[in-house]
Amino acid sequence: MSTSRGEVTIAINACPVPIAGQAHYYEDIAIFLLVAIENCDMQDKMKTTSVLLQKLKRTRVIYLLILPTIVLFVIFTYFPLIDGLRISFQDFRFIGESRFVGLQNYVEAIRTPGFWRVFRNTVILGFSNVVLTAFVPMLLALLLNEVRFKAWKRFSQTIIYMPYLFSWVIVGGIWIFMLSPNAGIINAARSLFGLEPVYFMAKEAYARPIIIGVNLWKQSGYICILFLASIAGINPELYEAAMIDGAGGLKRAFYITIPELLRTLQVVLLLNIMGALRIFDQIYVMRNEVIAQKIDVIMYYVYVRGLVQFKIGYASAIAVMIFLLTLIITLLAKRLIRYTV
Amino acid sequence: MAIRRTSTERWLFLIINNLFLIFLVLTMIIPLINVLAVSFTTDLESYENTIKLYPREPSIEGYITLFQRVAIMRPFLNNVFVTVIATFLHVMFCSMAGYVLTRKSFLGKAIVIALVTLPNMVPFEMIIIPVYVTIKRLGLMDTLWAIILIKVVTTFSILLMKNYFEGIPKSLEESAFIDGAGEMTSFFKIYLPLAKPGLATIVIFQFVSQWNHLLPAVLFINSPEKYTLQLALKSLVVSQELTSTTQSVANNTRMGGIVIAIIPLVIVYIFAQKYFIKGIMVGAVKE
Repeated sequence: MSTSRGEVTIAINACPVPIAGQAHYYEDIAIFLLVAIENCDMQDKMKTTSVLLQKLKRTRVIYLLILPTIVLFVIFTYFPLIDGLRISFQDFRFIGESRFVGLQNYVEAIRTPGFWRVFRNTVILGFSNVVLTAFVPMLLALLLNEVRFKAWKRFSQTIIYMPYLFSWVIVGGIWIFMLSPNAGIINAARSLFGLEPVYFMAKEAYARPIIIGVNLWKQSGYICILFLASIAGINPELYEAAMIDGAGGLKRAFYITIPELLRTLQVVLLLNIMGALRIFDQIYVMRNEVIAQKIDVIMYYVYVRGLVQFKIGYASAIAVMIFLLTLIITLLAKRLIRYTV
Repeated sequence: MAIRRTSTERWLFLIINNLFLIFLVLTMIIPLINVLAVSFTTDLESYENTIKLYPREPSIEGYITLFQRVAIMRPFLNNVFVTVIATFLHVMFCSMAGYVLTRKSFLGKAIVIALVTLPNMVPFEMIIIPVYVTIKRLGLMDTLWAIILIKVVTTFSILLMKNYFEGIPKSLEESAFIDGAGEMTSFFKIYLPLAKPGLATIVIFQFVSQWNHLLPAVLFINSPEKYTLQLALKSLVVSQELTSTTQSVANNTRMGGIVIAIIPLVIVYIFAQKYFIKGIMVGAVKE
């Protein structure tokens, strides 16, 4: 502030031609300027300090608001993630010292035939799920979109979405009962035609198709609504133009709707891929010893080995490997379909 | 124009298409009608090998067994407890976090964003073992709190709330700040009341996901009196009829269990259908 006053004084003094009578005038202006500058400066300073204080106060509140989230994520996601890695290098035990065993758990996992069996099952089931629960719902959406009768359209949408809401215990329970030779509706229908009951859940040949089919039954509606919403977002002018050019329904679907849905399809594929290796609930509910060889998946194997048989280090090593595999596949898929978050 | 030119083809397509959709809807509805019908049959009828779309002689025998012998009420109430508490905490913490992400810039914002979004890449199934160890160390084993706490906050809901808050005009908040309001007032008095549709969406999604939780209960719960609904249903509904000979519960009771578990979901679905669709869309955009 003092410097600015000095500068103004210098400026006045340096006024080259001090004209009589006008000096007063200059001084008046200088004083006015000084006052103005001082006031302005003071206000600015007051503002900055109060703003700073306020900002600090606000930031404190901001940290307070985010704190529970960070704490919960650290305790139940970040810490376990690192802990899991540590455990995978240990001969872990709850009581007593856990020994560091290096890569032994990993080597053991890779050498176990049981691991490769469940890995194979997971890949087969996971891949089928990724592909089917993307393309089937897309087809459904295309067909549903052609329905002209509004109430029927909304009704069918509502109904096919419903199974998505149900837990795997409910869905698995319903289907196990329906496929059961003991009063199940499917075998009851077969008996009407004089056919012998089939033990669907006890035939290895049926095991995988049933798991994949029931998953499709549960998930289709959800994905289908996703596609329907993107169809609704397509510019109607495109269709009008196509109609004027005389394009029929099939042509419109192939040249407008499907290309416009490609992005949604990419998102759906990515979501499916991220979920492919984590199948657990469905298998936990629907497996039985007869078909276990065909459908037991990695996450079920990890659960049984780790938390039922308490081979914790060994199971952790498998979980770590699968987690890394999921990350790699997801990142690769993201790059491949050039999808940015 | 096109419709007129290919009218017969078009009609044929529409008929086949609608027939296909009817078939599809039936494959979704018939299982549910079948479950409902069987749940109201007598013990004897529930074993008959016939197609049941309605009970021949309606009876609540199955439900009596369900509530008396199976004692489904306890797991049901445990499930209500877990769902209500977890949903409440979820909505509170996620909306708070979502609000923080809309703040212009504060020290460590980049770190906060990373900490909040990265857990999306970590599926719960893949860290069950260390989470089990953590829960054991915290002394939460065999408590309902273990189930509640592990999934209180999710990246999905935080980002959904952030999106919602960003849609609220900044001018409202600015005028409040001029009047001397702090972040707390701005959050609770301005943003939260205006984000009701967003809140409704995350309430519903969390409600459904908590109501349906299975794996956490499998991992952390041992005592039968702390069983939550899905865990109790698992042993009731999915009886290993192939491997065990002790199938003591009749089909009507098993299907009654399913009906009991479905009812809250269907009620929520009927009243809040539009929020489901909203949530699906946001989820897909943000994943």
